[in-house]
Amino acid sequence: MGLVQKRQYYGLLFVAPAVVFFAIFFLYPIVIGFGLSLTDFTLLKPPVWVGLQNYQDLLNDRLFLKSLNVTIGFVLGSTVPVWFISLAMAVLFFQRFPGRELMKVLFFTPLLPSVVVVSVIWKLLLHPSGILSSVIGPIVGQMPIKWLFDLQLSPIMSVVVHDWHIAPFYMIIWLSGLTSIPPELRDAARVDGANALQSFLRVELPLLKPTAVFVAAISTIRAFQGFSIQFVLSPSQGGPLDVNTTLGIVIWKYGFQFFRMGDAAAISVVLFAFILIFTLFQLRLGRSDDFSLS
Amino acid sequence: MASVKAYESDWAFEARLRRRIRHLILCSVGLLISLLFFFPVYLMVSSSFKSEGEIFSIPMHWIPHEFQGFRQYEFAFENTRLERWYINSLIIAAVQTIATVFFGALAGYGFAKFRFPGRNILFLFILSIMTVPFQILVIPMFVLVHQLGWHNSYQGLIMPGLISAFGVFMMRQFAYSVPDELLDAARIDGASEFSIFRRIAFPMLKPAAASLAIITFLFSWNSFLWPLVIAQDRDLVTLPVGLTYFSQSLDREPLWAVAMAVSTMATIPVILLFLFFQRYFIEGMMVSGIKG
Repeated sequence: MGLVQKRQYYGLLFVAPAVVFFAIFFLYPIVIGFGLSLTDFTLLKPPVWVGLQNYQDLLNDRLFLKSLNVTIGFVLGSTVPVWFISLAMAVLFFQRFPGRELMKVLFFTPLLPSVVVVSVIWKLLLHPSGILSSVIGPIVGQMPIKWLFDLQLSPIMSVVVHDWHIAPFYMIIWLSGLTSIPPELRDAARVDGANALQSFLRVELPLLKPTAVFVAAISTIRAFQGFSIQFVLSPSQGGPLDVNTTLGIVIWKYGFQFFRMGDAAAISVVLFAFILIFTLFQLRLGRSDDFSLS
Repeated sequence: MASVKAYESDWAFEARLRRRIRHLILCSVGLLISLLFFFPVYLMVSSSFKSEGEIFSIPMHWIPHEFQGFRQYEFAFENTRLERWYINSLIIAAVQTIATVFFGALAGYGFAKFRFPGRNILFLFILSIMTVPFQILVIPMFVLVHQLGWHNSYQGLIMPGLISAFGVFMMRQFAYSVPDELLDAARIDGASEFSIFRRIAFPMLKPAAASLAIITFLFSWNSFLWPLVIAQDRDLVTLPVGLTYFSQSLDREPLWAVAMAVSTMATIPVILLFLFFQRYFIEGMMVSGIKG
């Protein structure tokens, strides 16, 4: 073996700490996660093998089925509206006008507080005697508005808080997509007599496709993981009457309130399946190298 | 001649007018939406200087009438373990950031600059980790940390986030740009492989390391689910978990002004990072797609 070949083995030394770490803190948990989903386990006694029973039980589990509905609602609400708001804001901030930089910073601020802080702020905003209630209440003729205690309104508010918090993030991504389009293309379209709207629809939008796939996939995958907003914002960790109980909240409830680790693990596997589908979709549609790193 | 000139100035005037109107429209739409988005953040800061009684005053007071100074902040420090939570969050974020950057650069350099057997399969393994969100791992991770006897300890809080797969991936992409000629020259001079990494490769990775450090810090600083389940001891709680104690009390109305003071304090490090490292901050967020 030559010296050059031998040197290549140093690579193993360099990657070893990370690989060993992930074997312990990723591979092993994944394996025991699947294993646990086939058992009854309460942390106190050793796991008892039950086969696919946990999965079968899920089909009749009221809380789990409810959480599927809640999660799908949250995914719809925190994807499509965010795409359009963030794209519209990116197009706006792509124009030149006085004060643009300052407004961009103001628009960006919701991204700075953590999700928990954001939820606490909105809990105050949406308080029955809070600002939103006192401003909107007289208009709709109802005082006070119990935003977070109403079965219809409460999940919508989770979506509003999420979208408000995350829209600036996707705006930045759209904006970088817009910036990467060569200005000659736009100028050429304008010379050919296209108006601003036509040039946007026919020239810019098709070129934004990689960005769009990225935004769509990331936002969907993230929405499936909804947890913190629902946990903090809702009056009782996923309430009222479980209308904010996402899959993430159910996993937490079964695992750390009821100590039914087996059921919680089974729900984790189901959530994993959902997210895997959208990850594969992203990889297939987007060839993630289009965007991942420039 | 005169008529042509008049025509020209007419045309110029019209163009200027059009631009003015366009700016006016863009400015007002932009300002309206920006203020709408900024308002809750403003409310957080302004409420932290109000008295509890003034929080729900109608109409809302834009500027506190009974300005409290830092009284609510002092109250939070005196009546809760806020100082402890702050330190916990800082320690955890600092350790995770340093480890993620160091081991990420190490492994990324290894993957990019060496061809060893099993390299591709190991890298594929790292990539696959990035597709699995933490919500799915929380149950088995809890069981693992329990088995190790680490629940209710700093090890338990820190270890699962010590190295990030994304960190390895990101540093690998940037390590490719380190020129092989430089590395080979150092080898001819007899430098050891590790000192080549430390003296030559790592300094060239610094801009990427800065972005990675910022997003890792943010991710750790904001993380909620893991500290929530793993730290039962009130002295081990991190800032986001501690903050929920203010807003979750069912038996009495939360102390909102204090909660806003704590929220503001939890956000200050992020604002500082944003102000001083805006470029790395935004780059890091965009590259990662993980706004935590």
